Amino acid sequence: MKLAFPSLKSEDKPILIASAFILVILSVGTAYTVSTQGSAPLLSPNYLLQQLQTGSFLGIVAAGMMVVILLGHIDLSVAWTMTAAAMMATTVGGDLAIPVGIAIGVGVGLVNGFGVAYLRVPSMIFTLGVDSVLRGLMVAHTGGFAPQDAATPLMRTLASSRLMGIPSAIFVWLAVSIVIAVMLKRTAFGRQIYVTGNREMAAYLSGVRTRRVILGSFVVSGVCAAMAGVMLAGYSARAFQGMGNAFLLPAIAAVVIGGTRILGGQGRYAGTLVGVILIVLLNSVLSIMQMPEAGRQVIYGAVIILMLLVYGRGGKVHS
Amino acid sequence: MTADHPIVQLSGVSKHFSGTRALEGVDFACFGGAIHGILGENGAGKSTLIKIISGVLQPDSGEMRVNDAPVSFSNPTQAVASGIVCIFQELSLVPDLSVADNISLSSPPRRFGLIDPRAQRRRAEKLLARIKCEDIDPNALVRELSLSRRQMVEIAKALGKDPKVLILDEATSALTSRDVETVYELLADLKAQNVASLFISHRMHEIEQLCDTLSVFRNGQHIQTFPKGTHSDGEIVRLMIGREVDAQYPPRPAPAPRPEHLRIEDLAWENQLNGINLSIGKGEIVGLGGLDGQGQKELLLGLFGVLRGMSGRVSIAGKPCRPKSPAEAKQGALRIALVPEDRKTEGLMLAMSIADNLMAASYDRVSDGPFINAAKAKRAVEDGIAKLRIKLGSPEDPVATLSGGNQQKVVIAKWLMTDPDVILLNDPTRGIDVGTKQEIYRLMRDLADQGKTILLYSSDYAELIGCCDRVMVMYDGEIVASLSGDAITEEAIVAASLNVSDTQTMPGLPHA
Repeated sequence: MKLAFPSLKSEDKPILIASAFILVILSVGTAYTVSTQGSAPLLSPNYLLQQLQTGSFLGIVAAGMMVVILLGHIDLSVAWTMTAAAMMATTVGGDLAIPVGIAIGVGVGLVNGFGVAYLRVPSMIFTLGVDSVLRGLMVAHTGGFAPQDAATPLMRTLASSRLMGIPSAIFVWLAVSIVIAVMLKRTAFGRQIYVTGNREMAAYLSGVRTRRVILGSFVVSGVCAAMAGVMLAGYSARAFQGMGNAFLLPAIAAVVIGGTRILGGQGRYAGTLVGVILIVLLNSVLSIMQMPEAGRQVIYGAVIILMLLVYGRGGKVHS
Repeated sequence: MTADHPIVQLSGVSKHFSGTRALEGVDFACFGGAIHGILGENGAGKSTLIKIISGVLQPDSGEMRVNDAPVSFSNPTQAVASGIVCIFQELSLVPDLSVADNISLSSPPRRFGLIDPRAQRRRAEKLLARIKCEDIDPNALVRELSLSRRQMVEIAKALGKDPKVLILDEATSALTSRDVETVYELLADLKAQNVASLFISHRMHEIEQLCDTLSVFRNGQHIQTFPKGTHSDGEIVRLMIGREVDAQYPPRPAPAPRPEHLRIEDLAWENQLNGINLSIGKGEIVGLGGLDGQGQKELLLGLFGVLRGMSGRVSIAGKPCRPKSPAEAKQGALRIALVPEDRKTEGLMLAMSIADNLMAASYDRVSDGPFINAAKAKRAVEDGIAKLRIKLGSPEDPVATLSGGNQQKVVIAKWLMTDPDVILLNDPTRGIDVGTKQEIYRLMRDLADQGKTILLYSSDYAELIGCCDRVMVMYDGEIVASLSGDAITEEAIVAASLNVSDTQTMPGLPHA
């Protein structure tokens, strides 16, 4: 058997590979448009900014998801956390809309964290259950229809206005990214997430309050999902049923493509950023190429599996 | 010894685990129709020996022959095919399957390619009847059985494999006395059928009653094999200990009155701890001796706040001490540290950097509010590395790249960074090199001289003798002997560990 931990830079390898793959996607897409339309819209700054704007919702969800995956857990409730936060925010409206949306995220995170850390239910089951409960509650709340309440002006501004020519959603994503990256790297809580995700027993015996760390991480994930939901409602001008459904799998894929170990303990935030950009660009290039929906799904899934095969299998040895 | 040719013969077998030797050039033979006892201290190589014979481990060098034909097993199934069956100390039953399923797990009786439950059940009944366990329902789930019943199922399972060589590793330790009698009869039966039995037990009287031949192991070497009755208990104990001392210990200070710091009264937990009373002073090193699994680990974990539902009283510096978690144990007035048993799973985050591992217990000391102060963290890490002289490339390297000894130093340094008053050590020198061992011994004495209270469990008796001011020998969750000063001798510790009290070399030991 080879060395289990080959080099110091092993965490950077996935980031480099994913970045290279982004360039591949861009050049393949550009080659396609040049040959068919004689232009290269993919490389125009405006197009890229627009992609990043739609990517920012996924990016915020993925940021929270990464924190939970670093613990070796998963949060499958993000889809309906987004929807619930968006619906409650639009229902309440006014100045309280955004705080209420965020509060929904905190609440869902506390419930998830309590179930996983204190009741010791596997996160895959517990968060799936919470997702279903939220969906039921939202159907009951809206009667199964799209709510008529519109997003507040502040929500719309955050999601779809431009500041200095750059979509403000990107600034929100950037701010969330800075907070998460600093938290993971520079705070005791962040380091304890890595320690706990690496070896919960050793963390506990080192006097880390592992249950609080798990609880806190689920709250972070809940808040991120809620923020993304509130912004998505602002972007679409209102909340609607199942608006978060398209985000769960891409969020997990972005985190894992970015090199975070799905079993926890290892991963850098920069990787998640790269992973989100990769997924967003892949989606948009496939749609530019007018790939039918069926083919898009197949290619999209195959690329994710391929990326994981390239580097996801190496670091499994852990004893 | 009834046969001329050994069934199993090992010559020159060696086995190393990451630098430490488990077996070194062992020649060993066992014969059909004999019950062969294997004796040795913890870590003498007994378990490695039987694991090699039964195909669980592969030797690094040397040769093994079964019935004169050279063999090399790459897994236990091949050993079973050659008639070598082992009953392991750790039970190998699947708790959620029925007794009958478990007994026929590896080769169930089949009918049309499907498992035949009725034949399986009849087979289980027959095997259980052979060891007089008709009371066990073959349809019962193993998880519903008591530990002693499970052990008997384990024995039935082994019998079902039709052994030519049967290995029993501490197989009687969980049994009731009636079952032990049954096992004795069974072994006598098997002996008449020319089966060879290898019997490992820490109970001296069992070995004396049962075995024809005894082999003593020490430090991975086969010391001597002799027929029963040619050596006295005292001689056997001396053979197990040997005379070599391979480590230097710092001088022990003269006994002095020390203010009491840690006091334990009537501490009990499940049936692992049965009323521990112990008082340790500031600046004192107290050792816990005895065989593995007599409650030493539970005592340390209990003091550290890991175990739920303990009874009894513990106080530190006169104040009651009842931490509910390690996080509470390390803080405030208690200031307890624990160097755990298994550094790879309990002590370290192997994939993380040395710096992260060092800081894992003391984030609160290097942080301003929620933020880690990079300068403080760097200083703390450098301090820890310097204090224990950890040999490393960069503090950012994964801790897995260090040698075993340096890894253990990281665990110890991590805890010294919390500035503990009470230090609990669970076998801190296991599997590390002699040089690092000596550094750790010196460090423990230095810490004691600074007024720390140290409680050390070690499976190495020489270490207890060399390092400790007092040694408490535990047996079955109780302290059965308290030794101090010159009364700490290997003879006294070994005798108390085995709970025998009739060797001439241990005057004044309490009978337990």
